This record gives sequence, structure tokens and C-alpha cells, in this order.
Amino acid sequence: MSMLRGIALRIINLTVILLVVLIVIAAVLSGPASQVLKDTIQRETSEMVTTIMLHHPMTPAQAEQLKQTIIKQLENAYGLNKPVYIRVFYVLFNILSFNWGFSYYPDAYGVPSGSVVSIIMSALPGTIILDTLGILLSALIGIELGLRAALKYGSLYDRAITYYGAVDSGIPQWWVGILMILVFAVYLRLIHSPIVFPYGGIVDPQYYNVWLYDTAKAFINPKILASLLYHMVLPMLTVFIVNIGGWAYFARSVVLNIIREDYVTFARVKGLPQGQIVSRYIMRPAMPAILTSIFISIPFIIFGGFLLTEAVFQWWGLGYVLNIAIVGVPTPDMPVILADTYMSTLLYIVLVFILEILIYYIDPRIRESQG
Amino acid sequence: MAKVSELRIAGMTLGEITKIYVSSTLGKVSIALFVILIGASIYAAVTLPPNFGSLWNNPLYWQIYPKDAPPAWVNYLSGNGYAPQVMFGREVSTQGSTVRFSFRVDNEYSVPWRDLYIVIKPMSGSSTFTAYLSIRRPDGYVITIGPLLISSMYTEVGTTQQVESQVIQFYLAKYGYMLTVPQGLSAVPYIFSTVSSGSLKPLKGIYVINLTLIANNPSKGIGNRLISLVLEGNVYGLMGTDAVGHDLWLGLLAGFPLSLEVGVVYALISTAIAIAVGLAAGFMGGVVDEVLTRLTDFVILIPAFVILVVLSVLLRLNIWQAMLYLAILSWGGAARIIRSITMQIRTAAYIELAKVGGASNLWILRNHALPQILPYALYLIVVGVPGAILTLAGLNFLNLAGANYPTWGNILYYAEQYGALESGMWWWVVPPGLLIVLVAVTFIVTALAIEPIVNPRLRR
Repeated sequence: MSMLRGIALRIINLTVILLVVLIVIAAVLSGPASQVLKDTIQRETSEMVTTIMLHHPMTPAQAEQLKQTIIKQLENAYGLNKPVYIRVFYVLFNILSFNWGFSYYPDAYGVPSGSVVSIIMSALPGTIILDTLGILLSALIGIELGLRAALKYGSLYDRAITYYGAVDSGIPQWWVGILMILVFAVYLRLIHSPIVFPYGGIVDPQYYNVWLYDTAKAFINPKILASLLYHMVLPMLTVFIVNIGGWAYFARSVVLNIIREDYVTFARVKGLPQGQIVSRYIMRPAMPAILTSIFISIPFIIFGGFLLTEAVFQWWGLGYVLNIAIVGVPTPDMPVILADTYMSTLLYIVLVFILEILIYYIDPRIRESQG
Repeated sequence: MAKVSELRIAGMTLGEITKIYVSSTLGKVSIALFVILIGASIYAAVTLPPNFGSLWNNPLYWQIYPKDAPPAWVNYLSGNGYAPQVMFGREVSTQGSTVRFSFRVDNEYSVPWRDLYIVIKPMSGSSTFTAYLSIRRPDGYVITIGPLLISSMYTEVGTTQQVESQVIQFYLAKYGYMLTVPQGLSAVPYIFSTVSSGSLKPLKGIYVINLTLIANNPSKGIGNRLISLVLEGNVYGLMGTDAVGHDLWLGLLAGFPLSLEVGVVYALISTAIAIAVGLAAGFMGGVVDEVLTRLTDFVILIPAFVILVVLSVLLRLNIWQAMLYLAILSWGGAARIIRSITMQIRTAAYIELAKVGGASNLWILRNHALPQILPYALYLIVVGVPGAILTLAGLNFLNLAGANYPTWGNILYYAEQYGALESGMWWWVVPPGLLIVLVAVTFIVTALAIEPIVNPRLRR
């Protein structure tokens, strides 16, 4: 019962965060930023009227009148004539009910319908694969490296891991991605290496149709799966290089604190095998602390880093779509940016939730205090 | 009690702290790195012109610079012999309508200059000139080019139809060779080439370039002008150029003061918020603590980057505003640390004693709490800088949160946009990222070096 209560509390907490993020964005969108929408309407209407005038000659006065009528109707349709707080709820309701409308530049994404829902949904699998696999694998490798460093405290290996881990958090992940492409895609081709890696993308171009419309089918087809793995090598390597160090650093410092505890010394004196000491007496109590400290750094480093890494590798995920919506089109593609923000916040919150449940299960202190 | 109270931080005088700091390897490294960063910032502030931002964004200014050129020092590494940018200038002050002068240039490169520009400053709209060029080559032949109409500050010589046909004529007359200049490319490289056994070869040696400039309005004369000839190189400067011709060395230099300022100001603001919240929560306790702790937990979880992206798009934030929003969104972790330290101090026995002795809360705060919290605050400031620099560079990479000056993230954005990656232009993509890493690592190393001072348990 107590466990359920704890989980329910966390869910409420995280939902509040999601809502606050959305409300802030909706408030900005319908308050200060509504001018953006108004400008867009003005511009589009002018273009429309110019096109109409090509076929139906009008006096300037008539044209102006027509323009004003269209602007008024559009502003009505977008709810721009309503008070701000009403519009906040409009925006909020639309986002939450997946009523995301259509992209301003449907051609830019390669998803024909141009509906934002289909664009975002097609991008979701890519992000989930890269983020979850990336975080999980780099965590496993990093904790293992950190543990070994702590066990060989003071050795050359230990110092190397420490410096690597410390410096690691100062490297922009997306820039490492750029270096990866430069070395393993561009320069390997220049020297005619037999093994080269793709410049970017999530699968080979001929498979994009399957990937965008029927991702489930793509996983069954071994050829597409192989292509996916081939395209995943460089992004995954990038994620490893930048994230393993952080995990290793935290794991090392936590394990170092625990190794000095009396019960570990006692276990050694008792003559327990090293493996058992490590797994039962060191890692068990170390895990919650490692997870918690990573937990704090996730929103800052990992989250931002992953979105931009996707953009660099043109990995069809939320980050790349966000990149297209911001810089790949003439003016920012607001519907896509909003939906993308919502979706990535949601994804992030799910990740945090999973991590919290994990900590909850692993850490008896939290488990007991909830009861 | 001693009359003169010495300033002690974490139980040490400033002298002792400096000694510990300087004696550790990390401390020395961090000082060296800081000297580099601050030196580069001062150098940038002194050498860059005050209107550098608008110069950078004015493509006309950069048109005489080579495009996509690697740094000049690649010649030493590869031995390829790319011709570097060459510029000859002469101040002219005459009432006469004709000036004539000559320049010598030694072509020792296997890849000759790409183009030739005639630059006249100042240039007002009404006066125009006619220019003749005669180039005496090492093989004794002379190529004459002109007349060229000069009506703007920068005149590009190589791609005009007339120059092309003159160079082709030269090859036909001297070598009987039918030269084809590719569409849209400059004919200038062929001025520095010769034909040997039926194919084009670079012709090395001394070239003498004679320029004759005639004012088209003889009554006005030439006047006071700076007349320059620019040979557009294949390599340029310390850091090369980008697709617009920007001298990347200047762009990279401009990033130093900017990213240092933004990072440090961010850290000051966010740490100030964190201290205020942490102290209030730790000292007041009760409902205030409950509310503030909830708020802190909430702020820790906020996905700052995504919110910043959306706000930057919607509100068209510049880098300073984005920095401010970032500070408001990301003080959580620091506040949590300050609160727990404050809790420790508050429950200590000497505080009880001070209270019994009649000390007010404010007195305790000033004399017991703040001196213990300040070293942590310093540590948190140093730790906070790299995150901000990385986040803002990420925003710049999306061409958001711009500044008047070019930023490292923004240079990388343009590199990505112009396909610098696919064409392997390392000088455009590697240095900006390295500098971001350099600044971030400087603060990380400093944080590692301060840690034993702040945290007495780590002192050895």
C-alpha cells in the first residue's frame, strides 16, 4: 500500500511539472508572443491578396478591405480576439488533447500529411531508441568503470578515469557528434577505407517510407534493422564518450565512501570472495546514491545533449524535428515546436519516473520512510 | 578574544588557502588555464574594433577574403604550397588624374592565387576610375589586362568576361594553347600558370604587377585615397576562413570575453538565488522550509533546455536574456546543497550557545552561517559556469539566443548550414568546439582544485 502511495505521489509531482511547463509555454505563446502569430497572419494575408489580385483586378481600397476582412476572420479563427487567459486554456487544451494542427511547412519533414501528430509520432521511436539505449548502456559501462577505478584507488587507471570523468561534463555532446562524422564518415571516405559510416540519418534512404509510416514493420525486416544499427554506431559512440565519464566519476566517488565502511573491511577479513563483497556489500548500498546524483544532472546535460546530437546526426527523432522546425524552415514552425516540446518533456518525465521507481526499489531507506 | 580578527574561510587564512591552491597540480593547471582565457579576452577586447559585430555580419566587408580557406600554417604540414592572401596598399594623394605603381610578388606556391581585387578607399558614388594591369611574368612575357571600370570600393578582376578573354588570348598567342576557364570561375590562377608539354603547370618566380589608375573625371583628379591590390589566397591567417570569408581567428577571439562574461554572470545570479532560497529554507524551518524544499525539488526537475529553446524562439531572446532565464530555471541543485549546510550549522551546539548568550538571528547569520557558506558558494559559482556555457552554446548552435558578436556555437551553426562537415573543413568545426571545451574544462579543473579547500575532509 505504502509503495503505491509513494508512486502515486511521484506521478502527481511529475504531472504537475509537465503542466507547469505547458502553462508557461502557453502563457508566453498567448501573451507576449501572440505578435508572432499576428505577423504571420498579416504576411500570409498580404500574399493571398496579391495572388487574388493577379486574377481579379481590384482598386487599392477594395484590396485593403479584403485584406482586413481576411485578417479579422483568421484572428477570429486563431482566437486572437479573446482575452489572454482564455487563450492560455485554448492552447493548453489543444496540446493536451493532441489537437496539434498542421505544420506551416509540411514539405520540410517528408511526412506527407503535414499533420503535426504524424510528424511527432514518426519521430518518437528514434528518440526512444537512442535515449534509452544510450542512457542504459552508458550507465552500465560507466558504473562498471567507476567501480573498478575505486577498487584500484590511486592507480594510474583510477586517475585516468577521474580526469576523464571530470572533463567529460565540459564537452558538448553534439560537438563530439560533429567530430565523429568528420572522422568516421568524411575522412574515412577520403582515404578510401573499406569501412565507412553514414553522414547521418536513421536508416538508408530507401527504407524511410517504412520507418516513417510503419515503424513496427521496420523492426521485423532484418535489412532495415541492420541499416538502423549501422546508422546507430556513430550516435551511440558519441553518447558513450560523453556520458560514460560522468557515470564513472559519480560511481567512483560513491564507492570510495562505502569501501571505507567498517562492514566492508569486516567482510574482507571474513574472507568473502571479492565478487561477493563487490556485489553485495559495495554495489547494493552504492546504487541509490549513484542514481540520485545522476538524476540531478539529467535535465541539464543529458537532456539537452541528446536533442542536439540527434540534430547533428539527422537522426529522425524529436531533436532533429525540433532542429528542422527552428532552423530548417524560413520562419519558426510553431505548431511543431510546441508539440515537440510537449512530447520531449513527456518523454523526459517518463524517464525520470522510471528512474525514481528504480531508486525506490533499490533504496530501502526511501522504501521504509514512505510507509 | 583577539582584537584584530583575521579573515578566515573554512578555518584558514587567505594566505594558507593560496598556498594550498598553488601547491596542488590542479591548482597550477587551473591558474594557467585562467591566464590563457583572461589573456585572450583582454587581447580580444583590445584588438577587435568596437563595431566588430556589424562588420562580421556585413558580407561585403569579407568579399576580398578567400572563402573556405584553411589556415595558412597547413603549408608547413602538408608541403602543398597553397598561396596565402597577399595585400599591397599605397596611400595616394595627388591632384593629377593618373597614378601608376608596381608591386612585386614571389609565386613559390604550386596552387596559385584564386582571384585579384582592386580596392579603393574611400569611394564615393560619383567618381569612377579606369584601371589597367600589366603583369610581367618570370618567363618574360607580359599579360595586359584592362581597361577595367572601377565604380565601387571593391572590384573583382578575375571573373569578368573581358579579363577571361584577355587571358585566353594571351595563352593562344604565346603558347598556341586553347585555354578554357570554367564558367563562373576566375581567370586569375591562369595568370600564374604556364603550359608545358601540352598541360597547365604553375609558373614559379617573381611577378611584377603594374597598376595604372586613371580618374574618369580629370577635373577632380584622384585625390586622397588608399589603393590596394589583393591577391585572394587559398589559405588564410591563423584559423582560416568560412564560406562568407569571415576570418575565423577574429570570430573565435570574439567568443572569449562573451562566453566568460555570460558564464560567470549566470553563475553569480543562480548562486545568489540558491543562497537566498537555501538560507531561508534552512534557517526559518517549518512551513517556509517545506514550501521552499518543494520548490527546489521542482526546479531541479524542470527541463531547462527545452523551455529555453521555446522561449528563445517565441520571445527572440538574445544571449543575455537567455542566460537570465537559464539562471532562473536552474538554481535547484545549488539551493539543495546550501540548505543542507545551513541545517547542519543551525543544529550545531555553538549556535545554541550563541542563542543562550542572547545573539539575534541576524547576528548568527552574519557571524556563524555566512562565513561557512561562502566557500561553498564560491565552489558552486565555479561549478555552475560550464553548464551554462554548454547550454548557451547549444542554443547558439540552433541559431537562437544570438549576440552582436559571433559566438562559438553560432559559428558551428553556420558550419553545419554550409555543409562544412561533409566537405571536411576541420578548421571551421574543430576550433570553436575545442574552445567551448577549454572554457568549460577550466572551470571544472578549478572546481576540483577548490574542493579540498571547501571540504576539509578531503584535505590531505
